[in-house]
Amino acid sequence: MNKKMSCRMGTLGAICVLACSAALAQTTPAAAPPETAAESDRAHVVVTPGDARQGTFKTVQGEVTVVRGNARSAAVVGGGVLTTDRIVTGPNSAAALTLKDGTMLSLGPDSAIDLAQFQFDPTTHDGNLAISMMRGTLRVVTGLIAKLRPERVTVTTPTSVIGVRGTDFIVEENP
Amino acid sequence: MNRILAAVAVAVLMTGCAPTTRVVLLPQDGMQGAVDVQTRRGSAALEQPYAVASVYPGQSLSTGQMEPKAVQQRYRDVLAVQPAPAQRFTLYFELGGAHLTPESTDELTEVLSRASARPGGEIFVIGHTDTVGSTERNDALSLERALAIREMFIARGFDPARVEAIGRGERELIVPTADNVQEPRNRRAEIIVR
Repeated sequence: MNKKMSCRMGTLGAICVLACSAALAQTTPAAAPPETAAESDRAHVVVTPGDARQGTFKTVQGEVTVVRGNARSAAVVGGGVLTTDRIVTGPNSAAALTLKDGTMLSLGPDSAIDLAQFQFDPTTHDGNLAISMMRGTLRVVTGLIAKLRPERVTVTTPTSVIGVRGTDFIVEENP
Repeated sequence: MNRILAAVAVAVLMTGCAPTTRVVLLPQDGMQGAVDVQTRRGSAALEQPYAVASVYPGQSLSTGQMEPKAVQQRYRDVLAVQPAPAQRFTLYFELGGAHLTPESTDELTEVLSRASARPGGEIFVIGHTDTVGSTERNDALSLERALAIREMFIARGFDPARVEAIGRGERELIVPTADNVQEPRNRRAEIIVR
């Protein structure tokens, strides 16, 4: 790593620390605002009463974290995920979840993905899915959205955009 | 030309320049799937099982073929956590309303035990109608039927967050008919357990 780069990283780190402490200062005393935001997000994706989730964890091994806005929580089997959640696995860890349209996502160790976009109308099967992958390994088996409109399903990595014409593939990202 | 490419490939290998991104297409029952990989420097289509696209720093792209064993070895962690395939059941309704036939009422128990046995198990109840009535009426009726079944699962103790009711109206006929035809086999609820 050259001097310029490490310098830049140092600055970034400092900005990050500042931003994080600012975020903590904002959220720790008042846990209510992010919850309210999540509620209003849910309002337009609810399909049946009492059901806000877009996906459900089927396997959780080791250290698996769901990052929702500023909140981090440990993933649990049977727990839900929402659009824009980030899912992070630690070393020797893995996870699998199923989205509402039947898409299956499996993450290997040291992986991180964002469920950047997921919309699915279970009556018409219309929708779209965009996954943003930062690192690690991800297996995707696509579901009903890809069956009807494969062009609306993408996985994006820092270097590539993967467009889907069929169902089962692995993406490995070593940034 | 090939020789130059080979020389470049060897040079890349010798400098230890590993790809930053790899995409591997897996085999699939029935029609084989395919994916397109696109970078700023080009694009590649993967169409054969175990075809691989490698993206190197600088976003140059190459494709090749992996051995099935090598894929299983390299990706064993991610392959091992794949959930079991979904299970499907079909329940039938008495004419018109949201009442299940007696046989189908019995089958609810089977669905419930399967769903409860799966880690993070979910039940999707998808209502379907025959073609009697308007599209709107059938959308409403199919959802009403699905919701009635959803309530039965909840009443038997299943987590409400993991059972969803969906109405598909007359979009998926098991027995294709003309409009406004009574057909008991189309008046059904599909249950997906996953």
